[in-house]
Amino acid sequence: MTLKNFSPRLLGTLAVLWLAVPAGLGWAFVHSRDGAIPENRAADRPIQIAANGYASSQPCKACHPSQYEAWHSSYHRTMTQLATPETVVASFDGVRVDDVPGRPMFLEQRGRELWADFDEPDWDGQGNAPPRIQRRVVMTTGSHHQQIYWYATGHGRLLGQLPAIRLIGEQRWIPRRAAVMHPPGGALISESGSWNAICVQCHTTLGKPEFSSPFGTAALASQTIDTKAVEFGISCEMCHGPGEEHARLNASPLRRYALHLRGGPDSTIVQPLRLNAQRSSEVCGQCHGLWEFYDKVGERAANTNGLPYRPGDELEKSRFVVQPTRNQSSPTMKMLLEDDPRFISDVFWSDGMVRATGREYNGLIESPCFKNATDEARKMSCASCHSMHQTADDRRPAHEWADDQLTPRAAASGGNETCLACHAQLGGTQLQNHTKHLAASPGSSCYNCHMPYTTYGLLKTIRSHQISNPSVQSTLETGRPNACNLCHLDKTLDWTAGYLAQWYGPARPPFGAMTDDDRSVAASLVSLLKGDAGQRAIIAQAMGWAPAQQISGTNWLPPYLAVLLDDPYDAVRLIAYRSLRSLPGFNGLAFDFVAPPDRRGAMQRRALELWRDTRRQQGRRTDPALLFTPEGSFIAEKVDRLVNQRNNRPVLWRE
Amino acid sequence: MAGIDYSRRHLRVGWWSLFVFATLGLVLESLHGFKVRAYLDASSETRRLMWTLAHAHGTLLSLIHIAFALTLRGVPELNLRRPELISGALIGASVLLPGGFFLGGVVFYAGDPGLGVLLVPVGAVLLLTAVFLVARGTSSGQVLEKKGIRRS
Repeated sequence: MTLKNFSPRLLGTLAVLWLAVPAGLGWAFVHSRDGAIPENRAADRPIQIAANGYASSQPCKACHPSQYEAWHSSYHRTMTQLATPETVVASFDGVRVDDVPGRPMFLEQRGRELWADFDEPDWDGQGNAPPRIQRRVVMTTGSHHQQIYWYATGHGRLLGQLPAIRLIGEQRWIPRRAAVMHPPGGALISESGSWNAICVQCHTTLGKPEFSSPFGTAALASQTIDTKAVEFGISCEMCHGPGEEHARLNASPLRRYALHLRGGPDSTIVQPLRLNAQRSSEVCGQCHGLWEFYDKVGERAANTNGLPYRPGDELEKSRFVVQPTRNQSSPTMKMLLEDDPRFISDVFWSDGMVRATGREYNGLIESPCFKNATDEARKMSCASCHSMHQTADDRRPAHEWADDQLTPRAAASGGNETCLACHAQLGGTQLQNHTKHLAASPGSSCYNCHMPYTTYGLLKTIRSHQISNPSVQSTLETGRPNACNLCHLDKTLDWTAGYLAQWYGPARPPFGAMTDDDRSVAASLVSLLKGDAGQRAIIAQAMGWAPAQQISGTNWLPPYLAVLLDDPYDAVRLIAYRSLRSLPGFNGLAFDFVAPPDRRGAMQRRALELWRDTRRQQGRRTDPALLFTPEGSFIAEKVDRLVNQRNNRPVLWRE
Repeated sequence: MAGIDYSRRHLRVGWWSLFVFATLGLVLESLHGFKVRAYLDASSETRRLMWTLAHAHGTLLSLIHIAFALTLRGVPELNLRRPELISGALIGASVLLPGGFFLGGVVFYAGDPGLGVLLVPVGAVLLLTAVFLVARGTSSGQVLEKKGIRRS
């Protein structure tokens, strides 16, 4: 039989089948692997729906491939993800997690679904123990330092949070409470509904909580919750504004080529880099700043429609930017402080400098390079140092750029070039005259002196984003460690005051302003032993900072870091442990910062034994400022006295 | 135009053109091999697409030239009414289609190719014209009857 025996129609039908069958099988295979439920059919979690003139990031790729690619590599994109075996950073394959309150949590992968079996976190206290619940993990928050897991509660789109969080650097689970600077023993607030009401505002694009009555005003069980967002994660339209019209109009090649050839902006989309420094920085500040609603009406409207701010708008038109140096006595601030008297002190140093991460906009607007700049072209903005899209001339691997999303100039050689773009008179041979440190040393890095690590969040310290000069006076007034003593850990505050006065002229603080300890004990130890949990965390991390270790030596650090291994705050213990491990001879030291106190005590003793061993090889420090006797022993009574003076105020940093 | 040996012309054009576009393919592979950023970076996606299309279209058109030449030789009874138009259109398409794609990738605007891409639709029209005329020639009664195929 040959083909001639078949009619053309039959041959045509066979040809169509020949193409259609493999295509159909392929489609079915791909979709069975993906297992994704269409958004409009997902009923037990928040969903993504393009609305309000937003189009999502999908249409952006076709015309802006490199920008899309850079965004795709960023942690902004992965801030919120659907939980799948690919997006979770931890294994769910038959895993037992002991570091949770109560009984262990068990994780299981069922096909492509992720499930958890754990004690009910919202237990009402009835009965002997919280009931066990099994819930499907549906969403994640974070992919850089930590990952938080959210489960479907079964009540509308309401999410609850698993009792353990994955610490990505340490590759371990930790109890939820250990992930934040949180007073020991303090009651934990239920996280059920937090994602729907709070996270959704900044961790998605145009999120809408859609509670039937405002979050916190009625029992969750009585609420209808229909949370939606245009897109999970911080996507293109978060910075460029709604893009539906832009995408629709630019489907026309004639319009696109007219724009290409004409140059200049497209009025249908916001390009933050074309905005002035204030407006451009507000785009970042919409999330990287501390804000509140002016009133309940605004809050209610945002519950239904999402936040009203759009890139290019004046940020403070639609929200109250909390900055005590500017609006301490405003009615909104008074109202906020009536609700929570610690609202300011949990986020700001007493002089108004922000101390919690994620609020970098507050630091920027208080920086002289921003608020005192008279020349718009030289006014500092977020974009002075950060680039949301890795540029073509940036040679770094994408993951390296994504870490802080710094411009190549800001990332190179201590970032001095960025500052010298305006402060050119301090460059070249003048750099050393200005810094009084060798030009190639960390002491000549603009960042190290003017943006020290005095902000805390995500279990580490980051650089302050308020440009400031090192000041002993500020340390005395606020307790905030100054840049000099964060590097010269072994020097007193008095030593720093002397050099600053000698080099830069300001008078030394009056004699009475300093205590005997400030004059005789290393400033780092005063903060570490006497300071509050926030100050202890800052010093603990500084002790693990290579430039500080290099200039201050390391053989005196272990006993003090070991003191912090038994700190009441989980966060302080973890940071101290990280720094301890960075010291010579301590790399193999094992320590579980969330272990019970008796086990931690044993590990602390082991750290001290190690120090005694290493001290024999590395020599002893005998500086009295480090509280050592001339023989190299501790001045125990002085250490005890300082510890007894510790500032035990509860510290809860709102990251 | 009588006396022009179209078969010989298109064999020559086809093979030389194949040589040129196969060489372009080798160049593109080398750009991959040496990880040349101007070709491989995410920002060069449009260039990569345009040059790949130039290579593909150029190579395919070379083969069409050869096929056309062999058709003329193998089917002398082919009833082509405007052979000079077909020949010119095929050669024009071979220049404009891959050339347009190539130029569109030299200078481009993010996701949009450069203005050189405007040559592509002109080339496409020429190609379609040539293909249509050849197809019509193969459908004439004389050819079909010589091949022993009965018209319905």
